[in-house]
Amino acid sequence: MRNPMATRSTRALARAYLIAVLAFLFAPLVVVVLFSFHSVPRMSLPFEGFSLRWYDEVLHDPVVIDAMMRSATAAVLTGLLSGILGLSIALALVGARQRVRAATMVAALIPLTFPSLLYAIGLAICYHYFDVGYSLKATIGGHVIIALPFVFIVLSASLDRFRFSLLEAAFDLGASPWLAFRKITLPLILPAVIGATVLAMALSTDEFVVAFFTAGQEKTLPLLLYARINQGLDPSLNAIGTILLVATTGLAWLSAVRTAKES
Amino acid sequence: MRPSVRTLQMAPATLYYVALFLIPLLMLAVYSFYSVESFEPVPKLTLDNYVEAATSDVFRGFYLRTLRVALTVALIVTLISFPFAFVLNYVLPARKHVVYFMVLVSLFGGYIVRVYAWRNIMGREGVVNQTLLGLGVVDRPVTLFLNSELAVIVALVNYLIPFGILPIYAAMQNVPVGQVEAAQDLGGSRWLAARRVVLPLTSQGCVAAFAISFIATSAEWVTPQLLGGTGDQLIGNQIQHQFGGGLNWPLGAALALTMVVLVVALLGLAYAVIRRWLR
Repeated sequence: MRNPMATRSTRALARAYLIAVLAFLFAPLVVVVLFSFHSVPRMSLPFEGFSLRWYDEVLHDPVVIDAMMRSATAAVLTGLLSGILGLSIALALVGARQRVRAATMVAALIPLTFPSLLYAIGLAICYHYFDVGYSLKATIGGHVIIALPFVFIVLSASLDRFRFSLLEAAFDLGASPWLAFRKITLPLILPAVIGATVLAMALSTDEFVVAFFTAGQEKTLPLLLYARINQGLDPSLNAIGTILLVATTGLAWLSAVRTAKES
Repeated sequence: MRPSVRTLQMAPATLYYVALFLIPLLMLAVYSFYSVESFEPVPKLTLDNYVEAATSDVFRGFYLRTLRVALTVALIVTLISFPFAFVLNYVLPARKHVVYFMVLVSLFGGYIVRVYAWRNIMGREGVVNQTLLGLGVVDRPVTLFLNSELAVIVALVNYLIPFGILPIYAAMQNVPVGQVEAAQDLGGSRWLAARRVVLPLTSQGCVAAFAISFIATSAEWVTPQLLGGTGDQLIGNQIQHQFGGGLNWPLGAALALTMVVLVVALLGLAYAVIRRWLR
């Protein structure tokens, strides 16, 4: 692209700005990852040497393993549930009038404007009132609500590119609605559905506030990390943090790659 | 497709929304009018919780501090994000996909992990202090960083920058390239083009960046709890306290809804001001 806007010195300045902001963004994450491999129980420079001792300690800690399993369960179930609900809305909106789609979009995005603290305490009251109790299942129920708007954004972006002429052609050629769905609609929107599902998994893995108010004793990994921070800083927390980071950013990366591939 | 099929397809998600989103929020509103008798919320409707939220000096202090911190964080996030998106989109477009991708992924870079990291970086036994001590620059740990409003603001800005960059960057994708070039062909400088063409056309994105940061900060409680001092706690900490040790859910609900009203009113005001300023 022609770029008449930048002289050499502005470009250097611009590059320095980008790098500075990115460095600030990633600095805390780098610190956690770096010290998770530190061979001595000290979180300071100079770096003494690499070791996997904190991972060894953490992965032999049954409490950490339990929390990891719960987070994984929550991620998978949140992904599946919000994927299915999102897919069913997406299908309902294929061929719907623009007005209907816009209205659904607005309704689906409303939860995004609510701070999660507000929703979390509402959900906690609700579970208490109806005697549902606090558990991992209760948390998953809330995670689906948190994930659905994002699932919906990804799916409706895919719908905007949907070529309805293909569907019409199929019907003209005598295809049943089921056949048209299986052979045309599904393959076309499947990458987006998978991308959205993985995104929901990333959101669930990272989610803290709703889990804090609804998980009860069934602590997920972020809740365990929080509880241990309150007990005092300990180098093994770096390993827990790194595992959590790899899971969330890995899933987010996977989702972005999938969605990018489709478009 | 027949409407009945469509209704059937909409039904599961709609029911889910009603059951696990609308009803919880409704319950929150209802609970805010409940009374408390021997630590149990009872359905005796009263306005006392709101009266307390609005008139107590203690809560007023928390509200004012929360709004001040939220305003500071939202302003800093927007002021860092706009130039970032601008540079990415107009000055250095060659790498824009890679950098955009990095920002997108860092959005999911661990909410609680970041708070932990800042505690680690700024704490008494944190990276900064240990390194300074190790190098002999100071002989006692510097306690200035942790447990301060500065720590809370730095951590929140750090967490929210991706939420600021993404809407502004998205808005820039819709600015016609021709308009920017035309402004320059007519002799405008780069800054004039940015100020007069790009900024007004991306004002919605800037407003979104500001609003998201403001709303997120207004309900924040983990960051001030782990990084702020006792004098830096926000209204979110009070709300969380009512649902934890304080055992006064109705008051917590009223505090939360009062905050929502304040945030909506202030954002409306800010929106009006920004629109005027951009015109």
